[in-house]
Amino acid sequence: MPVTIDVRDANVDRTAVDVVFAELARIDRLCSTHGAGSEVSRIVRGELRSEDAHPDVRAVLELCLRYELETSGWFSARIRGRLDPTGLVKGWAIGRAGAVLERWGARRFFVDAGGDVLARGDRGDGRPWRVGIRHPVERSCVVRVVLAGDLAVATSGTYEKGGHVLDPHTGLPAEGLVSATVAGPDIVTADVYATAVLAKGPAGLALVEALAGYEAYVIRPDLRASWTSGFDGLCGPPG
Amino acid sequence: MRRAAAALVATVAGVIWLVTFKVTPHARLPVSAPAPSTTPAAVAAASEGGGATPAPSRPPATPTPAPRVANGSFTGSDVPTPYGDVQVRLTVAGGRVTDVVALQMPSDRARSEEITQYVTPVLRSEAIQAQSARIDIISGATFTSEAYAESLDAALRQDHLA
Repeated sequence: MPVTIDVRDANVDRTAVDVVFAELARIDRLCSTHGAGSEVSRIVRGELRSEDAHPDVRAVLELCLRYELETSGWFSARIRGRLDPTGLVKGWAIGRAGAVLERWGARRFFVDAGGDVLARGDRGDGRPWRVGIRHPVERSCVVRVVLAGDLAVATSGTYEKGGHVLDPHTGLPAEGLVSATVAGPDIVTADVYATAVLAKGPAGLALVEALAGYEAYVIRPDLRASWTSGFDGLCGPPG
Repeated sequence: MRRAAAALVATVAGVIWLVTFKVTPHARLPVSAPAPSTTPAAVAAASEGGGATPAPSRPPATPTPAPRVANGSFTGSDVPTPYGDVQVRLTVAGGRVTDVVALQMPSDRARSEEITQYVTPVLRSEAIQAQSARIDIISGATFTSEAYAESLDAALRQDHLA
């Protein structure tokens, strides 16, 4: 998966990007459920108690629980009895990447990982970042263009692998939507709610309508889209 | 975003419901009065189907025999409101209104559109566009959670950090 970082500040040492990748590698070593030696994997196997884990792992697990409660279980790191915080780790890692860049003085940048985007400032010419929401079928096309200053845009979808987002209540693949995009100030919140909305289906739009400062855009299997009341205000014209 | 116009929305919703039952009477059909508190005097012009025959149904709850409404779909007339025109179609089955579909809802002003969206959110939709827009970044689903972890490994190795 490409992790793309674009920094437009002229005065930022490019070493910052190396530091970002080192940080992402560190988080991966701690949290990846794919790597057998990660702390999360050891917790899943019962070899490590979560209270004895690295502070970052504890922070991730606490956030998972908080968002599970907040979304009434539509986001959950526990599916079919198994702990998997990966859905939150992605957004959390992007947030950490942004923090590293800001520490190095960057003010105009974006971090794009796994379809989730954290944008800061502008493109460098005074114009906002143009974040396209991918078309679920026409791979080279977008359906909407979100104009971003300081904004996180996260998209969860089923059109690439299908069925990988499960309804946490049933353990079965969510089917009501093919794509859910959430935009707002915090990347973790946007990431979590994009997953929650995709799991819940079209009615999940109400979760974001009720969330101050966040907007959402969802696409159904028949390629009709719906969105929250403030979403149009985030968009720019195409082309 | 939270909507602060709850009171106004409730009022408009009431207006819209009331309006749906104000129709141009070509042939007034008596209507049984189940739940709706608006107790419509006439449901709809019989624009569809021929004459209506009372639908046989279970005995009325009220002592006096309640009139019956024919089953079928009935389209209300186009009714103007302060926010725009409203027109609905009722579906009646078993003597009860089982569905109401808004054929026209106010949308000619930003405010009414906002209220309309709140009242009938299912109408706020579009067929998605396929645009080859000038963009800097794409937000879209790419990988499963597992594939993400695997790919991050590979990406980091490529970036000579592993």
